[in-house]
Amino acid sequence: MVLAVEQQLIFILEGVPYTLSISLISFLVGIVIGLPLAFIRSYEKDISFVVDWYEKIFRGVPEIVLLLLFFFGLGAFFPFPFYNAFFVSCLVLGLRSGANQSQIFRGAIHGVGDEQMIAGQSIGLSKWRGVWHIMIPQVFTFSTPGLGSEYALLIKDSAYVYVIGLLEIMTRANQVRINTTDMVAPFIFAAIVYIILTFPIAFWLDRWGNRRKKKIGL
Amino acid sequence: MTNYVMEAKNVYKTYCVKGEEKQDIKIVEAVKDVSLQIRKGDIKLIFGPSGSGKSTFLRCMAMLDIPDKGEIYLGDQCLTKPGVDLNKARARIGFVFQHIYLFRHLTALGNVELALRQVLRLPKEEARRRALDALAEVKVTECVSKYPSQMSGGQAQRVGIARALARNPDIILLDEPTSALDPELTGEVIDTLRDLAKEGTTMLIVSHEMPFAKEVAEEMIFYDEGRIIEIGPPSLFFNAPNTDRAKQFMTRIINKTTR
Repeated sequence: MVLAVEQQLIFILEGVPYTLSISLISFLVGIVIGLPLAFIRSYEKDISFVVDWYEKIFRGVPEIVLLLLFFFGLGAFFPFPFYNAFFVSCLVLGLRSGANQSQIFRGAIHGVGDEQMIAGQSIGLSKWRGVWHIMIPQVFTFSTPGLGSEYALLIKDSAYVYVIGLLEIMTRANQVRINTTDMVAPFIFAAIVYIILTFPIAFWLDRWGNRRKKKIGL
Repeated sequence: MTNYVMEAKNVYKTYCVKGEEKQDIKIVEAVKDVSLQIRKGDIKLIFGPSGSGKSTFLRCMAMLDIPDKGEIYLGDQCLTKPGVDLNKARARIGFVFQHIYLFRHLTALGNVELALRQVLRLPKEEARRRALDALAEVKVTECVSKYPSQMSGGQAQRVGIARALARNPDIILLDEPTSALDPELTGEVIDTLRDLAKEGTTMLIVSHEMPFAKEVAEEMIFYDEGRIIEIGPPSLFFNAPNTDRAKQFMTRIINKTTR
């Protein structure tokens, strides 16, 4: 099956929604995991060793190993939900991103400072309500541009999921290479698409963060 | 039933300060066997050398630092017993910080409203009305929708006072409310405190503003090396303190302010 150049490009571009949705969902999964981990690490010293181990494991094991392990390993025993490339991709990238984001947020919590929490306590807020009403809104501001580069990293890392055959940009570019025996053009095209996807989001997050920082006087 | 709004009984607090090197751990005895009673409408002023533990004692009163030993009472309730809901108790104690510590991501109104909405659980309109009242009381209506970074130090500290005041606490504790401000801005904060004093607000203030102390304080407390050295009306301290240390300190501080 040899397609016209135009059709090949469209074929690769049809991977964009997959790449974007995997990276967006795993980014959100990463926030949901990373934010509590960072606060446990900062405020619950007794159980912070759990966070340590979580970070060690998910930052230490390559994504490809995790993807194959979850998809084929767990998938063999629990076909639902693990024998689903989209689910496993979001899960694995999200778990890994959670470990990264936990460290980003921890730095931000430190940046916001204990005084804000003490002021929260002084008006009668409990620790966790202080976290919710006072820390979290400021932590996000402090977390840019770290969050921007984490998102860019997720877009790039979503290319790994070609090992479990999900039809995102990288898998499609590779298929075009196989079909056309063109060794260069599909990958150059994929590279351009990745740059277009990563750059504006990191840029926008950075700018949002700087504006917010200015507003709250940092 | 006690007559006291707040009472400290034989409170002790020590903390460790880490030095430059790991082995250098200094133990600071900031509060050593301190007792103090405050009645409704009292205005008491704690003063003394820096590093003597005044602020630590004040933070113990608000249970922002937990005392090592001794008891803190808020009305009849003992706050140092295990199992007390400290958040509920702290909601009845206003605290004003030396370095203000306004919530940076909220406007003046948001800062004052937060406790009303989230601690007292007031409906939206009532919380807003009371927050605006409090801001009007400390005369910062021009800052209502400003963020802390857009305010002057004096405005920010008055918002800090409004934040403590808005929920009608039993007592307001103020930890050197003017010492982090430029000299020309202390006046407006002092004026605010004077207004509160006129209305009969119960206050325990750590401060070195001597003219203000003379004017509003019923009792002054000279605090040094973790202890209350001398208690008495302002006239005692301004004329002839009983202890040498208080005498020395008063001489120094009065020379400094008249120079």
